[in-house]
Amino acid sequence: MLEVKNVSKIYGEGTAKVVALNNISLLVNEGDFIAIMGPSGSGKSTLLNIIGGLDHISSGEVILDGQRIDSLDENALVDVRRGKIAYVFQQYHLIPSLTALENVLLPLTFCGANNGSQKALDILKRVGLGKRAEHKPSQLSGGEQQRVAIARALVNDPSLILADEPTGNMDRKTGREILALFGQLNGEGRSIVMVTHDPEIAGHAKEVVVLQDGQIVDKISQKGGNKC
Amino acid sequence: MKLYQLVVKDIMRRKRRVLYASLGVVIGITTIIAVLTIALAGQTNIYDQLEKYGANLMVMPAISDIDIGLGGLSLGTLAVGENYISEDKLPGIRQIADGMIREALNIEDEGDIVTIAPKLYVNTRVNGTSLIVVGVDPREERLLKTWWKVSQGNYLEAPDEVLVGAVAAELLKLNVGDAIILNGGEATIAGILEETGSNEDYQIFVPLETAQKAFGKEGLVSSIDIRALCNACPTSDIASAINENMAGVRAVAVTQIAETEMGMLEKVSRFLFALAAITLAVGCFGVVNTMTTSVHERIKDIGILKAVGASRNQIMKIFFYEAIIIGVAGGLLGYVAGTLLAYIVGPLIFGGVAVTYAPQYFLPSLALAALIAVIASVYPASRASRIKVADSFRSL
Repeated sequence: MLEVKNVSKIYGEGTAKVVALNNISLLVNEGDFIAIMGPSGSGKSTLLNIIGGLDHISSGEVILDGQRIDSLDENALVDVRRGKIAYVFQQYHLIPSLTALENVLLPLTFCGANNGSQKALDILKRVGLGKRAEHKPSQLSGGEQQRVAIARALVNDPSLILADEPTGNMDRKTGREILALFGQLNGEGRSIVMVTHDPEIAGHAKEVVVLQDGQIVDKISQKGGNKC
Repeated sequence: MKLYQLVVKDIMRRKRRVLYASLGVVIGITTIIAVLTIALAGQTNIYDQLEKYGANLMVMPAISDIDIGLGGLSLGTLAVGENYISEDKLPGIRQIADGMIREALNIEDEGDIVTIAPKLYVNTRVNGTSLIVVGVDPREERLLKTWWKVSQGNYLEAPDEVLVGAVAAELLKLNVGDAIILNGGEATIAGILEETGSNEDYQIFVPLETAQKAFGKEGLVSSIDIRALCNACPTSDIASAINENMAGVRAVAVTQIAETEMGMLEKVSRFLFALAAITLAVGCFGVVNTMTTSVHERIKDIGILKAVGASRNQIMKIFFYEAIIIGVAGGLLGYVAGTLLAYIVGPLIFGGVAVTYAPQYFLPSLALAALIAVIASVYPASRASRIKVADSFRSL
């Protein structure tokens, strides 16, 4: 489904040069649930951004469903973001002036689909927020905001969900609920790549990739993934 | 949800910021609307005066002023020439005027085209008060003075009848049917005119022949007003032709007088308009500045929108929609403020002339303001559209 081949990412030049990723290779198959772990500054978020086409690489290849996306222009990358890949961020990144329903509708708005309200509402119901659809982010708790962000990610029916520290701003109980939701989505066949620095959170994934100084130092398969 | 709804919702959250962004446009549009409204009031004032006058051409006796001096000392001027025009010249003047209009407009009809209204002005005393008696051709005068209304009695019908201006009738306490003495001859008041707001209110109108006989000016007139009822009539050319072909008269096209006044007004308006345009240009830079700051402040939001599927064009559209809203809001406020400014300043410039609300500038001012705001937002919008998602999140 997605293959990262010998990818390096270097910021700056000369003495200011920083190697964020160094010759990384990673394979994400359909139905995978991969946790990328590592200490702060190890390159986790950079790798996630590159997988999603949000950042450019210095060398290597990123192949999604047989198509190289690292060399795509901005317009072609927009199509990738609108269909196959969706993001869930640690800070939720909801638009404060919009209601929960409108935030979920955003990806459909950009796709030009004007009649997606029922679909968005159904997804909100699915994440347990059917009754909070007309609330603005400021009126929702952290866990609820993250559920809205997940609903927004799901509205375009993506096959790959990229999540950057999705439970980072939550207490353990709420974090577990969010991870349970990811487990369900993974159970439906969606692939999930999740960045975390917390081994307990990573324990919910089927595979853990450990990064250090921009390099993969370990890959651990976990048969007991998706535990709730 | 449509893209513009997203923009409207976002703007409702940042009302003060948007108002601040539109301030430059408001000031520019205010100045432009004030200048245009005042200029329009001035123009209307000049046209009103012309319309009240009724004639397109004036024919007067050719009188020259000669400077009289003694050594280097000026003793004033001396008028040289006839004070009256002979009535004999009327057919010749009609021939020139009708002929030139026929030629210019390809008219084949042989009938009279222009209205030729001769006048004899005599300063005399009526009931002990000095005023001006005007001898007129009743039929032609009626055609010329379309705004005349007889408030009491009737219009001139018989040679011994007079028509009295509203103020003159009031001052002299004259009523319909009263007899008045004009230089020894008796005449009856046939009617009293409704007030017109011009000199006519102080005058008494009598049939031309009656005036000529009463004041010993047989066959003479003081001036001739000519009215040609068409915009394309070559009045300046007719005036030139009369001056070339008729001795002892001087013809002036009223438009020439108006053009001089209009020319002055236009020069002043153009200067003020240029100042207003500069103000608007400065305002435009204000919008660029505010929008650029806004882009910088909203890097994160732009990143989110791109991450959830917004294309570069859609990001630019968002900023253009915002610019249109800023422009329309600025245009609206500018239009209101400009009209108010014109109401205050206009009468000071044109000596009490009432400035009227100019609705024809409303939509153009909104459109101009929106256009300026959109132009001003091209650079910030382009910058916003180039923001990279990863960079926007790194900047948090």
